[in-house]
Amino acid sequence: MGTINSALSVMTQTLDANQEALNVMANNVANANTTGYTRETPNWQENPPLTINGVTYGQGVTETGATSQRDRVLDSRLDQQQQLAASTGSRLTALNTLQALFTPASSSTSTAGNIGSDITSFYNSFQSLEAQPTNNALRQSVLSTAGTLAGDISNAAASLNAQHSALDQQVGGVASQVNALTGAIAQLNQQIKTTSPNGDAGTLEDQRQQDLSQLSQLIGINQITTESNGLAITTTSGQLLLSGGTSIPLTTGTVNGVTDFFLGTTDVTSQLASGGGSLGGNLTARDQDIPNAISSLNQLAYNISTTVNTQNNAGTDYDGKTGTVANPLNIFSPTTTVAGSAISMSVVMTDPNQIAAAALGSGTGDNSNAIAMYNLSNQTIVNGQTPINYYSNFVTTLGATVSGVQTENTAQNASVTQLQTQSNALSGVNLNDEASSMSTLERSFEAASKVFSILNTIMAGILNLGEETTVT
Amino acid sequence: MRVDPFYVTNMVSSLDQAQANQQQLTAELSSGVSINSLSDNPVGAGQNVLLLNQIQQDDTFTTTSSLVTGQLQVADSALGSVVSQLTTAISLATGANNGTMNESNVKSIGNQISGILNEVTSLANTNYQGQYIFAGGQASTAPFTTSTATSPAVTSYNGDQDVNYLESPNGQKIQLNVSGSQIFLGSGSNSVFGALNALIADYSSGTVNTAQAVSDTQALGTALNYVSQQRVTIDNSINQISASSGAVTSVQTQLTTAQTNLMQASYATVSTQLSLSETQQTALISVIAQLNNSQRDLFSKL
Repeated sequence: MGTINSALSVMTQTLDANQEALNVMANNVANANTTGYTRETPNWQENPPLTINGVTYGQGVTETGATSQRDRVLDSRLDQQQQLAASTGSRLTALNTLQALFTPASSSTSTAGNIGSDITSFYNSFQSLEAQPTNNALRQSVLSTAGTLAGDISNAAASLNAQHSALDQQVGGVASQVNALTGAIAQLNQQIKTTSPNGDAGTLEDQRQQDLSQLSQLIGINQITTESNGLAITTTSGQLLLSGGTSIPLTTGTVNGVTDFFLGTTDVTSQLASGGGSLGGNLTARDQDIPNAISSLNQLAYNISTTVNTQNNAGTDYDGKTGTVANPLNIFSPTTTVAGSAISMSVVMTDPNQIAAAALGSGTGDNSNAIAMYNLSNQTIVNGQTPINYYSNFVTTLGATVSGVQTENTAQNASVTQLQTQSNALSGVNLNDEASSMSTLERSFEAASKVFSILNTIMAGILNLGEETTVT
Repeated sequence: MRVDPFYVTNMVSSLDQAQANQQQLTAELSSGVSINSLSDNPVGAGQNVLLLNQIQQDDTFTTTSSLVTGQLQVADSALGSVVSQLTTAISLATGANNGTMNESNVKSIGNQISGILNEVTSLANTNYQGQYIFAGGQASTAPFTTSTATSPAVTSYNGDQDVNYLESPNGQKIQLNVSGSQIFLGSGSNSVFGALNALIADYSSGTVNTAQAVSDTQALGTALNYVSQQRVTIDNSINQISASSGAVTSVQTQLTTAQTNLMQASYATVSTQLSLSETQQTALISVIAQLNNSQRDLFSKL
């Protein structure tokens, strides 16, 4: 049988529940701008009704705490996309620095430091020499254009090497950041396991999600939900980074002069490079883009040096001499291996008379060997291409790579924005929502207190048994 | 449906993007160059390398052509002088051969022809900017010397038969020289020096063996014609170089235009883009300003 007492009790609970719900709203409003905060909604639970003599009476409502509004699948998608965007972002930064070394010359008069123009000028100096093979000024100009070409190629290679070691230092520091984050996540896993093994852990999960998001900026990861609301994390290629409360530290070591990453004893550098995150992008730039550029320059430097040296040794110089094994007439420093050719490229010839413009056995006024050296520019001496075509292809390929990564990065960032918008739409605190909820709760609270005071009046009436003055 | 409550953040990043875009466009406008880095237009950057290569090649060829043309013109004018000297020699010899001159007059003609020989030798030893142009490959040594140990005297050639060529950018080979021995020491009666030395010997004693002298004079005539023929080779080269150089210059003009079109920013397009981007920026700023108005959320109505 329903009593006034039980009605009063229902109203007391209602007032409590509304207060608690208002508390949840207040917390939402307070954290409206907190990074990583997930909006919470109060949980209302109808109390089990009471059935007495076949009549069922409602027992009011209880507020059983708050639930964070999150979508794990969406968050995980966002993390993945962030890994991709961070990877292309850091690779793009590295590539932009790289391509700045090969800025296109805007016109034929503004070619300073441009390797393409250097190649042309160098071979052209032989064409000028064709006109007057004995002219000292023209011979000197061959050496000076050779010096410019060698200097620019060597400088570019040195800059690439410097960029390579700068990137190497940069990636080395990532391991400790990753370890700090995986350690924190492991700890959170433990706390979540004890406090909330079967449901959403609220603030703790907010923290864990934020750590995951930070980790996603650094490296590519896979998330696997385990028992007791735990989380296991592997790299994108499947090596375990942490499971439950245990994290496996990422260590670094020097292999072949560069920093490599290890999980236990496994070298995971190449997996991390393709995995994602800023580390992935930087490793790709370090291990792929920069070495490719250096190797192209090496190929160019090696083939130009060796073919020109060989041709110069095949002719007769101004003093009537011909290069021999003991006393070679080399214009460029001789190289025997392609590797390192670019950085070591330099002009070793100091006497312009040693340029062999004449053919073997011909008088010094002959220009056949100068023609032969000029013709090297039209021969497929660098990987089946002429030197200038090779350089042209090199800049096109490099430009296309940068442009491709740029496009990828733009698309991925757009996708991150979309996912972030979706996630914010679900989990972000909207002040209008909170205001409207608070009004509702306030009304509900007022209604409950009104009902309570009516019940109180009724109760007073009952206690006074009609004498209205005894109890008010 | 819930919306992203942080949409202002997205707007601000759009604003950033608009600004970055404007920065890029302004850079294009101020430099006038549309390809500032390889990634702006990778294919264009590659083409630019090849175009600049051709332009510079053409430029060098034009400079080289003028240098070479100078040398060829010197050779041509030397041969022209040789022809006129030889014509004089022939008319002197013809006078001496008609039997009307006394001994001293004949000797004097012999001396005059001897002077002509010296003149022709010095022309054959013409030096252009340190190079003996009729010496073949031995350009640093005077090619012709005359030994008077025998009679008639013998003029010998110290150069070689080397022929230099200039290659035009399209691969055409243009002959730059004719060896001195081919011009002045042709075989048989084509030898200029042979004929001149023979005539000098004919007239040295003052008594003329008319039959011999007439035959030697005829030989000099033949040699003169032969020199003129060789001169044609030089003239042809001058014409070829002038034609090539003209063609190359016109190609270079086209290439420069192509290169400029490739690299130059189109002011109209860039200005339009800049103006669009500025409009977008203004719109974004005013939207953000309105959204930031404190009256925008329900709390202000409570």
